[in-house]
Amino acid sequence: MDRLKKAGRFLCSMKCAVILLVILAVACTAGSLIPQGQTAAYYTANYAESLAGAILLFHLDDVFHCWWFVGLTLFLCVNLLACNVLRFPALRKRMKEGFTATKRIAEWDGVPAAVTVEEPEEIFKRLGFRNVTRGVMAVARPAQTEDSAGSAEGAAGPESVPTRYAVRRRAGVWGAWLCHLGMLVVIAGFGLGQMFQVQYSVYGVPGQTKPIGNTGYELRIDDFRVKLREDDTVEQYETDMTVMRAGENPAAAGASGTETTEIGITGADETVGTAGVTGAAGETGIAGTVSVNHPLTIYGMKFYQNSTGWAANVQIYKGSELLQEGVICAGEYALIEDMEGLAVVLNAFYPDYVRGEDGMPATASPALHNPGYLYTLYYNDRILGMNVLTEDEIITVEDYGIRFTNPQQYTLIQIKRDPFTPVAAAGGLLVMLSLVLAFYLPPEEVWAVQRSDGTWLLAGRSRKAGAYFLEELSKYGGKAPAGLPEKDGNKQTE
Amino acid sequence: MDSSQFLAIENTLFTAVMVLYLVSMVLYFVFFAMKNEKAAQLAGWVITAAFVLHTAALVVRGVGARRLPMTNQYEFATSFAWGICLCFLVFVRKYHFRALGTFVTPVIFLLIGYAAMQSREVRELMPALRSNWLGIHVSTAIVSYGAFGVSFAVSLMFLLKQGRENHDFWKKNIPDYDRLDIISYRAVSLGFLFLTFVIITGAIWAERAWGSYWSWDPKETWSLITWIIYALYLHLRLNKGWRGRRAAWFAVIGFVCVLFTYIGVNTFIPGIHSYA
Ligand code: HEM
Repeated sequence: MDRLKKAGRFLCSMKCAVILLVILAVACTAGSLIPQGQTAAYYTANYAESLAGAILLFHLDDVFHCWWFVGLTLFLCVNLLACNVLRFPALRKRMKEGFTATKRIAEWDGVPAAVTVEEPEEIFKRLGFRNVTRGVMAVARPAQTEDSAGSAEGAAGPESVPTRYAVRRRAGVWGAWLCHLGMLVVIAGFGLGQMFQVQYSVYGVPGQTKPIGNTGYELRIDDFRVKLREDDTVEQYETDMTVMRAGENPAAAGASGTETTEIGITGADETVGTAGVTGAAGETGIAGTVSVNHPLTIYGMKFYQNSTGWAANVQIYKGSELLQEGVICAGEYALIEDMEGLAVVLNAFYPDYVRGEDGMPATASPALHNPGYLYTLYYNDRILGMNVLTEDEIITVEDYGIRFTNPQQYTLIQIKRDPFTPVAAAGGLLVMLSLVLAFYLPPEEVWAVQRSDGTWLLAGRSRKAGAYFLEELSKYGGKAPAGLPEKDGNKQTE
Repeated sequence: MDSSQFLAIENTLFTAVMVLYLVSMVLYFVFFAMKNEKAAQLAGWVITAAFVLHTAALVVRGVGARRLPMTNQYEFATSFAWGICLCFLVFVRKYHFRALGTFVTPVIFLLIGYAAMQSREVRELMPALRSNWLGIHVSTAIVSYGAFGVSFAVSLMFLLKQGRENHDFWKKNIPDYDRLDIISYRAVSLGFLFLTFVIITGAIWAERAWGSYWSWDPKETWSLITWIIYALYLHLRLNKGWRGRRAAWFAVIGFVCVLFTYIGVNTFIPGIHSYA
């Protein structure tokens, strides 16, 4: 039982938090220095055998998703929660009862920050304290400085003396507590997001309509623009698109929900404004434009302009007769329908094709000067050939001719649905605000006790600024009575 | 004036700034080694002048490049040095603590030296970098790193003070342990608050640009590690036994992490941030 209690106490302690945070920092270091998500062969090839073994054994190849990292994070959450639950009553009590003249002055060691003849209320107001309470308290006479009269009074036992007391920013006690709560919300939002978010990506060229995973929606790419600057660097990628329920594509009447490759449907003449949503929901779906850094939310899904690549039209001839034509993106394959088992893969595309010094294909510039198509031809999984084809060349296999034309850039749209992003965002905001509260709006107290000679001893307390707060207090401390030291309070009262 | 003229002016200003930082560093050393108060006073003037010219250099570059000058290693290194100088000047004013200059100016000078070694070419931004969030993200990073730079210097003084408590010079010019601890704490709190802001604005920007607000990219991970180190500092300070020396060590380690996040990650680990 004792052990259980001890364990429980440890779980709620700051010591436990410190240990967990140190381990998490070390784990993050490992996760950033060891390349993540590679194959086992990669580690055995790049690290000493024992090290590679350790990496795989402790899942250091995927630190941030492995069970022990998630476990430690959960452990930290429990720790945070326990800490906050336990501290809540004490903090509430501190807010309600912790800031009183009686309590503060009784705990005071009697060392003043300043001695003054002025009414302390005025001084406190100058310091920014608004509600100054006047009171009378039974205290042991505060220590007198040696040159003041009646030092014997100090030993005279408790007596009633006038006091002044003020406190400000009491809510500051909640700073750390709210920060912990905010962290819990961030971690919860992130964790739930990781568990429940869904992501898809759709790529294609203008005119293509593709399903968005199994959401029942499809996405039509209406136009794709790569905006270049004068020096040929890319300024922006922009896709005009329409999202609609599957089967509602008006421009492709009769198209099934699968990958359709209508060629020749060009984008709408008018580009739809910037990231605004135009068009009515319903039959025509919702149209909009996404560009890098300007995502768009449609039907609860968020669309991002993610990347781009090259695509081309692939044409299959038999003799001079065009049998088949479709769009193929780099990395995709096309099956020759007329001859089972025959397929062509467009491995890569070079807009300004040259042969590099090493004999490998390369591109001299990003501009479309001399298109080169690197292809591989397969017949029943056997490679028939691999080469680079330029614009007017045709590959011939038996009676068939294969040709690539009309190179154009395709757009890759990433689609994401994560209902927990706002949760994490709210947590982040809470952490931010609570840190301002914790660091810049901490509770501050000032008090004064009148001595028998009518002078006042001023003192104050700020957990954050310590000696510097007292210095400020002594600076504002008003006129000191003749012969008394103006500054007397470099000692921290904490 | 065209862009190249602005950049030529910036170049001249940058050289002047580098020389002034060097001079102020030497003067602060003279102050420290020879206990020469005049040198400290002069150093204060020189570093203030350096800061003014540095600000002008950044503005001129911003005008020349027609964007915030905070997007490549050179621009960020020089802004980082500027941030430390800004925080230094603020802290010196607030805490009347000139000797801090002896410890801060070498850090500023190292960063300016690092900046001088980087390419100063103005390159157009790739689309992912063209975001207002980038401006907020990087400006907050400059303040945060600047404040951590100051806390690093103060904590070093804390650690070096041991054994020298009774030297006249240290007694007169270096605050007592309590005050050093508070100054370092104030600097860390400012840095921590801003680092939190940096991480959050970075997450918002990443979400908009890449569709994911946190992807354990090495730069993100290292900013988290730095953040954890300073969170540890904050908690250790709450414990009486750990306050002071041990906390000071954490502030020093924290700043090493800051430098690694900024320079080391780009140099040693590839990731989406490798262009910055
Ligand atoms: C990611 C995790 C954590 C973060 C970011 C965090 C952050 C903070 C911050 C910013 C403060 C204020 C420090 C100051 O005012 O100087 C603080 C205080 C504190 N933290 Fe944490 N903390 C974390 C975890 C924990 C855990 C798990 C515990 C549990 C035991 C804990 C216990 C405390 C205590 C007792 C204080 C002092 C509260 C006060 O002054 O009122 N912290 N924390």
